[in-house]
Amino acid sequence: MGKRVISGAALAVAALLVAGCSAGEGVDLDSSGAEGEVLVAAIGGEPDQLDPQKTTSYFAFEVLENVFGTLVEPDENLEMQPALAESWEVSDDQLEWTFTLHDGVTFHDGSEFTSADVVYSYDRIIDEELSNAWKFAAVTDVTAPDDQTVVITVAQPTPNLLSNLGGFKGMAIVQEDNVASGDITTAPVGTGPFSVEEYVSGDHITLTANADYWGGAPELGGVEYRFISEPATALAALRGGEIQWTDVVPPQQVGELETDEALELGVTPSSDYWYLALNQAREPWSDVRVRQAIAYAIDRDAIVQAVSYGTAELNQLAIPEQSVWHTAYDTYATDMDTAQQLMQDAGFTGGTLDLLATSDYPETVTAAQIIAANLEPLGIEVSIRQPDFSTWLDEQNSGNFDMLMMGWLGNIDPDDFYYSQHHSTGASNAQKYANPEVDQLLDAGRVETDTEARKDLYAQAATIIADEASYIYLYNPSVIQTWSPSVTGYEARADRAIRFRDAALGD
Amino acid sequence: MRMQPARVLRFLGVRFVSSAVVLLGVLVVVFAIVQLVPGDPVRLALGTRYTPEAYEALRAASGLDRPLPEQFVGYVGGALTGDLGVSFRNGEPVTTTLLSRLPATISLALAGLAIALVIAVPAGIWSALREGRVSDAIVRTASQFGVSIPDFWLGMLLISLFSVTLGLLPASGYTAITDDPAEWARRVALPALTVGLVAGAIMTRYIRAAVLDVASAGFVRTAVSKGLPRRVVTFRHIVRNALVPVLTIAGIQLATILGGVIVVEVVFAWPGLGRLVYDAVAARDYPLIQGAVLLIAVMFLLVNLLVDVLYAVIDPRIRVS
Repeated sequence: MGKRVISGAALAVAALLVAGCSAGEGVDLDSSGAEGEVLVAAIGGEPDQLDPQKTTSYFAFEVLENVFGTLVEPDENLEMQPALAESWEVSDDQLEWTFTLHDGVTFHDGSEFTSADVVYSYDRIIDEELSNAWKFAAVTDVTAPDDQTVVITVAQPTPNLLSNLGGFKGMAIVQEDNVASGDITTAPVGTGPFSVEEYVSGDHITLTANADYWGGAPELGGVEYRFISEPATALAALRGGEIQWTDVVPPQQVGELETDEALELGVTPSSDYWYLALNQAREPWSDVRVRQAIAYAIDRDAIVQAVSYGTAELNQLAIPEQSVWHTAYDTYATDMDTAQQLMQDAGFTGGTLDLLATSDYPETVTAAQIIAANLEPLGIEVSIRQPDFSTWLDEQNSGNFDMLMMGWLGNIDPDDFYYSQHHSTGASNAQKYANPEVDQLLDAGRVETDTEARKDLYAQAATIIADEASYIYLYNPSVIQTWSPSVTGYEARADRAIRFRDAALGD
Repeated sequence: MRMQPARVLRFLGVRFVSSAVVLLGVLVVVFAIVQLVPGDPVRLALGTRYTPEAYEALRAASGLDRPLPEQFVGYVGGALTGDLGVSFRNGEPVTTTLLSRLPATISLALAGLAIALVIAVPAGIWSALREGRVSDAIVRTASQFGVSIPDFWLGMLLISLFSVTLGLLPASGYTAITDDPAEWARRVALPALTVGLVAGAIMTRYIRAAVLDVASAGFVRTAVSKGLPRRVVTFRHIVRNALVPVLTIAGIQLATILGGVIVVEVVFAWPGLGRLVYDAVAARDYPLIQGAVLLIAVMFLLVNLLVDVLYAVIDPRIRVS
């Protein structure tokens, strides 16, 4: 009888499997009415909400990039290009920006997009003090003289206004009715190439192609976003054909994926950067030579290898090489002799350095451990602290640290990279760096409207900042995504915007 | 074995009261989560950029500005009426979110339990009846494997076999059983198998022990000495009596699965409670974490209560004690 029971059990399991399989191969994803295939993309988590002006979640922006439009938007080199605004003019005194809107743009519900929507959207961010309100710091007025025109008045020349208006979908143009009804958090109405069709909490969000998209209907019929936090599952689903795109890729898998002919891999350095900062309000870090000694002593190669398995790009300045705002700089190769000499010159004989990292960003802890080993020969004993991020912020703001490690994410304009961090009055200058020359350069960069002159100003400022080791720059992490070879017309972007409007699915 | 209604009621009354006491304890612990964690939950919820007004508003909205005893009374009162507060992340009522995730977890747990039973009942009985033989050793070794395998790893193994190599079953995704039962079965197969194999291995050991226990009992020896056929002894006496502990084990396993499928749900991107807990912890959404822990505890209590009741109905001796 034993034999029978066992085979019965095996049969039952097999029956369950077969019953499952008989439902048909592949996933049926026909969307209502839309032509073209549906691309299934796996992202690492669920958006908190779909209101682009309120969310701060990257998972939300991965979806909303395809749902909403902004006045202007960055191209692949992160230079601002026309989007909902087809052109703009700046007054001679640089204080009035006049945008002419694209003709015949409609929202997903069919209603017409006009200048009133732009005014409403910007007023909402400013009046409700939403998290992006700071991007309008220089703006004194937003008006709509006619349906096709928006005029933005600024207090002083603002060359980075365009990147503030279009750098990401947090500045999207929303629809007043959609906001008023509260639907925007789960069923947002935008002007983008895809509209939100279905949002099943915990499982997926489905977008349908917007046939009336002003830039031309997308080739895809739609995009379904699934939330898969486990990289091995995402990769298995990609290999098994359940999904066609994912960014749930751990860096240690990149080597393996590079040699996998069945998958496409997109790796591109991002405009995010990670850095060390020494508290210049404290002895002996106020001595520039001690800071430089540390900059010479650290092994950037080892740090990059440990935190990113070699996928990040070494950098001694904030802005990656791919950006039009990049400045060449390579002063600090690992050089213990120079480091020792600088320490001697400064009369520093050793001591304990308190390094503030945070367990919420594990790369800070990994890097801190390498830095501790690097600084030992200099007689510096590094004691690493790793509180949660909110404590980290408190400690940073109250200046309770010798050294800290952190990153800045989502930068586009050079002002994003340098002003608040290194201007003596900068809001994020926790390391208390103050150099009148740098202040002057950064102030000038804010209002300089000639691009070449502006590049020159930031190149000077960045060089001084790095020479004086206000920040010790480490690396730009890479954007890592992988997709099926059947996906065409898609590219990984440095600003981490996931754009599917030009993508298509072949066989 | 006639039922004695008064005693059953008294038994049920005692069980309900003790469950209520446990529930109160759970409420205290769940409430303490927010008080004990380092850092300010409101600050964590708001992220790096926020205004003092927004901070005060969220603090007031989540009741964290009131004195502790008042907060506790408010929390317990709310919990008893089904109001578990609103999520920090999206402002949705926690109860709504939890209820929307419950069916996915329950359907996975039941499917997993079914697989576990299908494996464990025959394997456990068979192994016990062949105690000491090679086949017993094989079953025991296999179940030892099953008990020791991390469910995470087993899940990955199944994905790589059934999804990648064979291309038979999906590695992720969910369809409600009410929407499309066949598609649900296809998608639940791998996570349920992961849950079921692990739970089945544990249950096999229990069932084997229970059968051995009964087999050595006095009444079995009596039955054998009466000259009853082996078949009759095995099924009528041993197996039937061993079913009582099996029921308990199945109940405990079901409760464990309901509360413990976090890893499996994360691996298979299954939108149930476990995945919700994982996301809530990652997002530091304390009201949601509190609510989910509470719900899982309540389910545990309910299942145990149900098992106790069934147990008492099946075996009257239990009630007396």
